[in-house]
Amino acid sequence: MTAETGSPRPGAAMERELVCIACPLGCRMTVSSRIRDGGVEVTVSGNRCARGEAYGKEEMLAPRRILTAVVPTDSALFPCAPVRTDRPIRRELLGELASELYRRRVSLPVEEGQVFMEDYDGARVVFTRTLPPDEIPAVGEAGAEPEG
Amino acid sequence: MKTRNVDALVVGGGSAGLAAALRLREGGASVAIMEREPYLGGILLQCIHTGFGLHEFGEDLTGPEYARRFVAPVQEAGIPAYLDATVTEIGREPHDGRGTHSVTALSTTQGVVRFSTRAVILAMGCRERNRGNVAIAGTRPAGVFTAGLAQRLVNVEGCVPGRSVVIIGSGDIGLIMARRLTLVGCRVLAVVEIQAYPSGNARNIAQCLNDFSIPLYLGHVVTRIEGRDRVEAVRVAPRDGTGIAADKEFRIPCDTVLLSVGLIPENELSRAAGVSLNEGTGGPWVDADYMTGVPGIFACGNVLHVHDLVDFVTEEARQCAAQAARYLAGEPREEMLPVSAGANVRSIVPNACAPGRRTVFMLRSLVVKNDARLIVSVGGQEVRTKRLPHVQPSEMIRAPLEPGEIPAAPARGGREAPPTVEVSIR
Repeated sequence: MTAETGSPRPGAAMERELVCIACPLGCRMTVSSRIRDGGVEVTVSGNRCARGEAYGKEEMLAPRRILTAVVPTDSALFPCAPVRTDRPIRRELLGELASELYRRRVSLPVEEGQVFMEDYDGARVVFTRTLPPDEIPAVGEAGAEPEG
Repeated sequence: MKTRNVDALVVGGGSAGLAAALRLREGGASVAIMEREPYLGGILLQCIHTGFGLHEFGEDLTGPEYARRFVAPVQEAGIPAYLDATVTEIGREPHDGRGTHSVTALSTTQGVVRFSTRAVILAMGCRERNRGNVAIAGTRPAGVFTAGLAQRLVNVEGCVPGRSVVIIGSGDIGLIMARRLTLVGCRVLAVVEIQAYPSGNARNIAQCLNDFSIPLYLGHVVTRIEGRDRVEAVRVAPRDGTGIAADKEFRIPCDTVLLSVGLIPENELSRAAGVSLNEGTGGPWVDADYMTGVPGIFACGNVLHVHDLVDFVTEEARQCAAQAARYLAGEPREEMLPVSAGANVRSIVPNACAPGRRTVFMLRSLVVKNDARLIVSVGGQEVRTKRLPHVQPSEMIRAPLEPGEIPAAPARGGREAPPTVEVSIR
């Protein structure tokens, strides 16, 4: 898992072609950065929305990603409980958090939105699916019998 | 055997079926859902990644979160959902029910279940193309999976299919699985794509392959799968014109091969019910009401044509259900003009349109092109053009036409066929 660029040299402009991952539209963007007044100035073009600009800047300086994974459960019926980070974490931490989650175990039931891990790089890890404890599921449990 | 009567029966409890059932119920129809899995939600439940719901909810949801937003209202509305129930036949109502169609299903707990209904909504989704569909030479070892099956194993069943993986095809599910398998500790050695461009969306190339330095071989072919009991290696060669450059062939040792080589609408039931299919999409031919050639049978979602985004499945299912509700109410049908795929268009849905009504055309391009134009012509006359910044075969084009954008058909003699609306890309 490596970023494909280093940090820009003083005075040098750096340009990258990026595909925006903020949504499935996948805008093709050009992001350039230069050192100016002791700070880094990043400009984004080709984006179709503000999220694209924010993504372009972040991607140039410190890329972050949402992590989704599953946590093993004690259930035979639902052996995996899916989770996500509620906000992006630093990209270089994805692998570490993924293996940390895989080493853990959770007892069902869990609720969508329930917090599993309180603070990982500023993000919370939450369950994304409500799962009941093991029992033989009743057929038609989603609703009543229709009238004959 | 007891026959149950409903106004509309929805076959499939995934994203399309759920949205259609809700819309029908809102319109006051009695509706039931048939689902072959033991839970509602369909394939969304194994898609634990984000990217769902940006259009529908303005949020970046995971598959299970998106599903829940439809399953919960279905349950609150008390819509009966038969789980673990596989529909085996859709036919004409013989005599003993109140409806016009009969639907037979096998339920694990109730045995044979029969419905009499006035409308059927086909929402069975699609399935994956597999090794037999793409003809790869070599032996037949264990360790060859479709990408969606691997996704189910890893995300739902909790098994990892192998250790070192080569993915054939660059469809979205394959790309998502390249990342997913890397995160569970597999080594993903290559994604091999026969075309010169990826078939998954650009965003997934960026965040699933580039983030993890997974090589993508465009314009390459897997020439052979090796291994006696278990996969041992694949051989890969670049394409050379219409053939392959055999001298440049190389070998990648691996124990697992995933296939991400496209999806096929699942239409065995439809075909047996007499529904005729559209060659371009592999799904039923439908008119502007999403009604198939068999009156009262409607189709929406991936069973109609394979979508890229679930948000558009939801939109289409609602439109389909709204028209099914009008059909159930006995409202008169507008005159429709046939729609055909013109130059550079591989497929289009729907296959007829009503000029007085909003129509959302969904089409796929045959070509990769920047600054393209979408051209709508009626009876050979251009009536509308729309700018398309970028088109490629893997990205569905959604083109809504407002009422009146297509002129009504001119008055004509009784036997004269209506003019065809042709949609093309230039």
